[in-house]
Amino acid sequence: MNKLVFFGGKGGVGKTTSSSAYAYYCAEKGEKTLLVSTDPAHSLCDIFERKIGSKIIELKENLFSLEIDPEEESQAYINNIKKNMKDIVSPVIVKEIERQLDAAAVSPGSDESAVFDKLMEIIIDYEKDYDRIVIDTAPTGHTLRLLSLPELLGGWMDRLIEKRMKAMELYEMATREDKKMKNVIERDPVLSKLNERKRKMEQAREILTDGDLVSFVFVLNPEKLPIEETKKAVDTLEKYKIHVNTLIINRILPDNVEGKFWENRKKLENKYLKEIEEYFSNKNLIKIPLIDEDVKIDNLKHISKYFGEISD
Amino acid sequence: MDDKKEIIKNFKLFIRSAFDFKENSMYHIKKEAYDEMDNFMLLCFGDMLGIPVPTSYYMLELLPYLAEDFEGWERRIMARKSVYGDRWGDFCC
Repeated sequence: MNKLVFFGGKGGVGKTTSSSAYAYYCAEKGEKTLLVSTDPAHSLCDIFERKIGSKIIELKENLFSLEIDPEEESQAYINNIKKNMKDIVSPVIVKEIERQLDAAAVSPGSDESAVFDKLMEIIIDYEKDYDRIVIDTAPTGHTLRLLSLPELLGGWMDRLIEKRMKAMELYEMATREDKKMKNVIERDPVLSKLNERKRKMEQAREILTDGDLVSFVFVLNPEKLPIEETKKAVDTLEKYKIHVNTLIINRILPDNVEGKFWENRKKLENKYLKEIEEYFSNKNLIKIPLIDEDVKIDNLKHISKYFGEISD
Repeated sequence: MDDKKEIIKNFKLFIRSAFDFKENSMYHIKKEAYDEMDNFMLLCFGDMLGIPVPTSYYMLELLPYLAEDFEGWERRIMARKSVYGDRWGDFCC
């Protein structure tokens, strides 16, 4: 597994459990590990029974953690813009625009963008400080949108920059300034912001598609819907050049089930296990059993043993 | 002979543009400049007018620099609704 390990999967399959167990495993091996959660459900706090916020805390030796709060991040972003505005724009207009900004903070998509920005910032800032960064992501749909952001926005940024340059050139011609066009375009703050954003997106894209830096692990249960969703997700990620090499099949029933009901379920499960093994024959498969109690920090140790099967 | 005609034609064009104020080529360039700027703003802030724009979150950081012209921009975009209203201006004024 590479240095950055993303855990994805359908809601409820056990992503948080798996990513926590894996982070535990890495920490036990002596790797300085950072466990990051982007899941709005805050399940990480429930497993470790600790308050985990946006500041990195130490859970145990070698194991550190933080949770990205989308609201906090987008609020910080908006506040920064407001602060900038006061220096540039007249007070009358500031009031008007502040209304727009507050409305924009709660629009759909802003959460994902805010989380994405923070995640990239964390990866870039802390990559050197840790031996392993484990990222617990939100249920599949969110994650796919998150990871495809650089690819999607890259094109938009180019278009916007092109448009702005053309507009500025025309504007220059229209106002008949003596200054050279080149100078004004160089000094245009809008262009420099756009170029900065484009640079960040490209950097993010490079990181996410770096096959030697990033591993993507998909968690599923041996049931119909998770399997179907996994197939689609793996294909979609493939399109964005993100390769899924490892699958975790979670909550496998014990072999010695009793009673007709459970025997039937076990038979069904075996059928699905076979389907997974056949369809995903080129991937590493890790099987984790269903345990008979809630997953808490005490039994994470037990689950983490299953990761010993992966070669590092 | 064709070459000479070409040269004379271009010369006439030059004189006309340089001295004919009614032609007002500056007006056209200015209008095109404004249109391009407005189109750019539309790509940035379209979602405020109901056009879903994927980058809207990131465009917010451009607001301070484009805020001054916001009202004018909204007004001009709304005026675009009527194709006749937009183009009529070209012909009569």
